[in-house]
Amino acid sequence: MRDFGKSLIRFALIIALSLVIGAIFIMIIGENPISAYAALVKGAFVGKLNLGKTLANFTPLMLTALAFAVGAKGGAFNVGVEGEVFLGGIAAAYIGIHWGFLPMPIHLLACFLGAMIVAAMWAFIPGALKAYYGVNEVCSTILLNYVAFYITSYLVSGPMSAGVANAQSDPVADQVKLYQFMKPSSANVGMFIAIIVGIIAIWILNKTTFGYKIRTVGLNASHAEYVGINPKHTFVKTMIFSGVLGGIAGCIEILGVHGYFLNNFAANIGFNGMLAALVVKNNLILTPFMAFFLGALKSGALGLQQATSVPKSIVDTITAVFIIIATMDLLFQFKKKKQIQQSDEPLKPEASQEKEA
Amino acid sequence: MTFEKIINLSLIYATLRSATPIIYASLCAAITQQADILNIGTEGIMLTGAFTAVTVSYLTGSWLLAVIVAMLAGLVMASVIAVGHLKYGAEITAIGIGINMFALAFTKYMLNSLLGKTGSFTDPKIIGIPKVHLAFLDNSPALNELFNNWAVTEWFAFILVGILTFVLFKTVWGLRLRAVGKFPMAAQTAGINVTAMRYQALAISGLVGGLAGAHLSLGYSKMFTENMTNGRGFMGVAAMFFGGAHPVLTAIGCLVFGFADSIGARLQAYGVPSQFVLLMPYVVTVAVLAISMATKQSREARKKSALITTAPSTLTEKRG
Repeated sequence: MRDFGKSLIRFALIIALSLVIGAIFIMIIGENPISAYAALVKGAFVGKLNLGKTLANFTPLMLTALAFAVGAKGGAFNVGVEGEVFLGGIAAAYIGIHWGFLPMPIHLLACFLGAMIVAAMWAFIPGALKAYYGVNEVCSTILLNYVAFYITSYLVSGPMSAGVANAQSDPVADQVKLYQFMKPSSANVGMFIAIIVGIIAIWILNKTTFGYKIRTVGLNASHAEYVGINPKHTFVKTMIFSGVLGGIAGCIEILGVHGYFLNNFAANIGFNGMLAALVVKNNLILTPFMAFFLGALKSGALGLQQATSVPKSIVDTITAVFIIIATMDLLFQFKKKKQIQQSDEPLKPEASQEKEA
Repeated sequence: MTFEKIINLSLIYATLRSATPIIYASLCAAITQQADILNIGTEGIMLTGAFTAVTVSYLTGSWLLAVIVAMLAGLVMASVIAVGHLKYGAEITAIGIGINMFALAFTKYMLNSLLGKTGSFTDPKIIGIPKVHLAFLDNSPALNELFNNWAVTEWFAFILVGILTFVLFKTVWGLRLRAVGKFPMAAQTAGINVTAMRYQALAISGLVGGLAGAHLSLGYSKMFTENMTNGRGFMGVAAMFFGGAHPVLTAIGCLVFGFADSIGARLQAYGVPSQFVLLMPYVVTVAVLAISMATKQSREARKKSALITTAPSTLTEKRG
């Protein structure tokens, strides 16, 4: 519990520091940071529409954050969640539009399964490349994100186009659309699906043999190999697992929020999810809370831009500052460091001289 | 579709032209990789450099000053990575991604608030990097088309490849840097200040990354658009992996991507959907990367097979 309290204090300090840096950026352009932050909070939580927006933002972010965290537990730095969201989305849209002959529950299930399978296949590529050929997965997943985006962009402006001004597909069948419970916002029952999926994912990782394998490989691949776990197979499966979660996020976005495939609908959903996971060091329990926080920031950003003349990109800037500071593990651990130094000093007096030089 | 119209002399220039920003980016990644630091933040450093260069050029009208300030901006970004990673123990990939996000958001923010524009910024007051006109080439049409009117920074990209190769492989500093990358503990035992070497590598990487951005916004084009690097930094990192962080091989990798980029642009005129044209460099990058890593692995396995029978696991590799 003491560790938890410590990490909470550290968390608060990080937030405070990033807000201060953000305030400096706001003051540079001659605006009042306090009123800007007030507008931000108001835009995120006050009113049914704003709160609904926050919940709608939270849903995919939680899934993508979990997708990244699950990958990270298995030693995979999967930046490709975004591409998996896109391809999961297009698969769901295709099945949602064309398989209307199926009865409702099976049709809905088919959408989810289709999204999961396509996203899993997409995640398999970088997973296999890394496991068998040693291709750095950060690099390959980032590049494959662009490929996924352009593939879906081609599909909705070509073969699957609805023929309207925007690049988008035909609407999916009404029976598979997820019920929006907080109109006019787009918060929908997909949120509950996402929470259930999240719980299952956490359960798989913590309570099953498969999850144990993932965590073992993530901690030490050589050890895993020694105890009889094939690290390569497990790595590929981890990527697929991560991809499946991304695919579900895409499916919920399409069926719940839009009702059709909109070109570039998932811009930054994958990235922001990754950030949420990075900030809490891939802690699966804390990840959803961080996703909620980022979701609130995102909807607050719109309110901020409407209420003041501060551009909403300031929120992304502050979030990025937040991430950068949060990655620095040893920051805000001054006390510990000093203690170590003091205990060292009688033994090594030259250590302090080195620091000064 | 006529073959001659797609494959001709000007394709070579187009390839070189679209490769140069990636060459700078890949050098930015290669220097740190020699010290065993994976600089994923290349993209962000480059984007910051691009924005700074355009802004300074617009405000002062001096391209040289713009390039210098852009390099300094790159240095600042790299310092954040350096301090975060080396002093405060940040995971290098995580902080690199953080820097990329920051650069993307911050340049957008400054574009909106400082220059009052959204999306892109172009103005006649922006002074681009001048082109080198070699008068003696005018008589030969082929050479003229190939080598004339390159931007200064396009020439400099190739010079920089040479300089870095020399520095890395022919100087004491380069030897030390590579020693730090190969085996930090041995380097430390030999009396090399490992942390200082890593700081220096990241600092130089920042300067090169800033230059990459300046070239992209002032040499390659004469404007700034949101997210104008558009994955070029990552392509640079991919090229670095392809070339095993050797500047010359890395630059050759960049030429492959530049070729994919420029041939795609030509195919577009013949009814190939634009999305396929745009995704081509990325697909080629991933494919080339996979093939080069696979051949490298089998080569190493063959070397080792005479000595030991077990193949090393790729997953046990540490990530810097």
